[in-house]
Amino acid sequence: MDDLTAQLEQQIQQAYTTKSPLKIQAGNTKAYLGRDSSGEVVDVANHSGVISYSPTELVIRARAGTKISHLNDLLSEHQQRLPFEPPSFAGEATIGGTVAANQTGASRPWFGGVKDSLLGLGLINGYGEAMQFGGQVMKNVAGFDVTRLQCGAMGSLGLITDVSIKVLPEFKTGHTLTFEMTAEVALQTMLRWANLSLPITGMSHLQGLLYVRLQGGDSGVASASEFLGGEQLVPKVAKEFWQAVREGRLLQPQHNQILWRWSGSSDAPIHALPDTSLINWAGSERWALKASSSTPADGLIQYQGGDRLAEVYGAISAPQQALQERIKHAFDPHRILNAGRLYSWM
Amino acid sequence: MDTILSTSDTHSKQGSEGGDVAALVSSLQLLLPASSIIISTESQRPFECDGLAVYQQLPLVTVIPETVDQVQAILRLCHLHRVPLVPRGAGTGLCAGAMPHAEGVLLVMSKLDKILHINQNTATATVQPGVRNLALTDAAQPFGLYYAPDPSSQIACTIGGNVAENSGGVHCLKYGLTVNNLLQVTMITIEGQVIILGGEGLDEPGMDLLSLVVGSEGLLGVVVEAKVKLLPRAPRVQVLLAAYDSVTAAGDAVAALIGQGIIPAGLEMMDHLAISAAEDFVKVGYPTDAQALLICELDGTDAEVEEQLAVVSQCFTEHGAHHIRIAKDAAEAEALWQGRKAAFPAVGRISPDYYCMDGTIPRGQVGYVLTRISELSRSYGLRVANVFHAGDGNLHPLILFDASVDGELQQAELLGGDILTLCVDVGGTITGEHGVGLEKMQQMPYQFGDAELAQFRRLKAAFDSEELLNPGKGIPTLKYCQEYRSLQHG
Repeated sequence: MDDLTAQLEQQIQQAYTTKSPLKIQAGNTKAYLGRDSSGEVVDVANHSGVISYSPTELVIRARAGTKISHLNDLLSEHQQRLPFEPPSFAGEATIGGTVAANQTGASRPWFGGVKDSLLGLGLINGYGEAMQFGGQVMKNVAGFDVTRLQCGAMGSLGLITDVSIKVLPEFKTGHTLTFEMTAEVALQTMLRWANLSLPITGMSHLQGLLYVRLQGGDSGVASASEFLGGEQLVPKVAKEFWQAVREGRLLQPQHNQILWRWSGSSDAPIHALPDTSLINWAGSERWALKASSSTPADGLIQYQGGDRLAEVYGAISAPQQALQERIKHAFDPHRILNAGRLYSWM
Repeated sequence: MDTILSTSDTHSKQGSEGGDVAALVSSLQLLLPASSIIISTESQRPFECDGLAVYQQLPLVTVIPETVDQVQAILRLCHLHRVPLVPRGAGTGLCAGAMPHAEGVLLVMSKLDKILHINQNTATATVQPGVRNLALTDAAQPFGLYYAPDPSSQIACTIGGNVAENSGGVHCLKYGLTVNNLLQVTMITIEGQVIILGGEGLDEPGMDLLSLVVGSEGLLGVVVEAKVKLLPRAPRVQVLLAAYDSVTAAGDAVAALIGQGIIPAGLEMMDHLAISAAEDFVKVGYPTDAQALLICELDGTDAEVEEQLAVVSQCFTEHGAHHIRIAKDAAEAEALWQGRKAAFPAVGRISPDYYCMDGTIPRGQVGYVLTRISELSRSYGLRVANVFHAGDGNLHPLILFDASVDGELQQAELLGGDILTLCVDVGGTITGEHGVGLEKMQQMPYQFGDAELAQFRRLKAAFDSEELLNPGKGIPTLKYCQEYRSLQHG
């Protein structure tokens, strides 16, 4: 529960001087994501602790090494929650890593991603300068949105030191319904239900079952449940299912396999990703396990497994690459921070 | 229809750079139809300012392209000849962000106004940047959908402008700002390169460039297409109004309500001066003896709304509301909103001029900040009416002044500056939704340190190394910051 900003700043300044690569790490729960990179470890795990939390403001500010499980516990004492439902990976995942890797749970289509709850953050750039962007208020358009830019940047633009997050009230009640149906029928069903004003917070399809999670007020959930029908899952089973969804544990690549993630329009046909095994986010996220490499396609990334020195995030256009290279340079001119983690050229 | 000018008009533009102007216009004529180029002083007059009319400047030339290819060609031309370019939507912005550049081209995007596609299945719309905000909601209506961000200028403002400013509105408490309702944009860089940011899905891999571009005030590129999220219309919408004897009590009621886990679709506050002005103007039955009024909108299914309505009414009563009015039908709900929506023009009726500020503060500071604003108001001798998005702490103090009185505009600006620095002092920001533009440049070094400002400048350079896109706006130069700091320490 210490503020190690000065120490972290110093370590990056030193690396800037010697142009030595650094590898940012805290809970080390997401090493399998992105490309492999090397460098001296900057350990953010001990830079932890809640800086401020005001339940009536719906804002929590915590150091990057603070564990998601700790935030969940603290918020739940005040009947509040993190809106983007991040994975906690056996309690080890941290809020800094969650933001950098842009990790969201099943409620993504209804309650938004990390960026939708992120209000501000502290960042140490590749010069070793500690900076603050955004803030703790709900609306803020002063200056460029460097805060949200970090979502998914995998630490390649800076080391996140602290984050301010908008939180929401905990749901009063909720349960999960299941429906036996094929993936094709499930896709159509999800599209239809997503457009009704129902308190749905998760819709996934796995092995012939459509899972629909309802959360909200008592009467809203009860009337939606009656309207939809289906079988109600035992709460413990439902909880485990949604936890497995957000932690990506439903599909585990074996030795030669690659886990592919496809992201696109929720009404794309089922063959948009051949051999889809799991449909999440009401159809806009799909997953497939394959023995060998797949043909690159729009929206497809090599999420887990396979060659981690390949361009796992797919190809991007030449102007886009040139722009991202210039942005990287604007933050980290010597390319010392998580070099190559996102793309080989970054 | 505006046309190309006679030679004598062009002469008036000449000076040392007259030849360059003529050359620029000739080049533009090769790219655009005559009706898309405006040069005469008289015809350019409507474009000399945005919604913040105290800042005015005529551009060298105004262009109104009709196609994306034309936009791309204009950008390439400006890049080639190192000509500053200012993008503009409907010009409803309130920070002089779209004020033209004296030596530059004003790029008006209003003719790119096609709704390209509404996908009912996915509840999304693909639009050109000149589509008006309300026109999109109107077009989505037959599908039972609407576009959530609803700034008060929604009848006129465009989606392109909304992206540039990250516009909010009265419903962003629950449904978010532009950044939360956008999936993808196609942007053209100053070099004329087309870049797609975001995607068809929800979270694309890599850094979030889409969010970076939202709210960047035309400094990073020109958006030529946007894919936005639409929301299903809630089956039931309920509006209620609560009157209080003090703004502090109303502020406490807001904090208590949020603390109880209720996030209304909208939660607005007006103070006594704003209530009286609005009631005089629209006569909807606001209690004019109240010191503060809360307007709260709940939406959802019948069951959800009923459940919330009970909690809200009880919470408002417990926190001292002396009058609660629940709209009986859609017409009454509309009337209750009408006063709030007409608050700015209503204040315009009781003062020759007014100046609208836009700070955001932590909700818990509302009482303190409003008290400080009324002290400042007394010491400057200028009245201030407060209308604001109470749910998210976004204040819109309206400073009443008379520009025809010598020095009063300057006093209003000074008072405005004091209000913005007050917002920063309590942990807030100088702008919640209107943007920095030219107007709030002075407060930027107050909110940000040198390292952050330098980072902004390097980021700007990554997109536009020659500072051709909307130069002089949004981010203060190093020289400006150095002068600011030396004044602070001097």
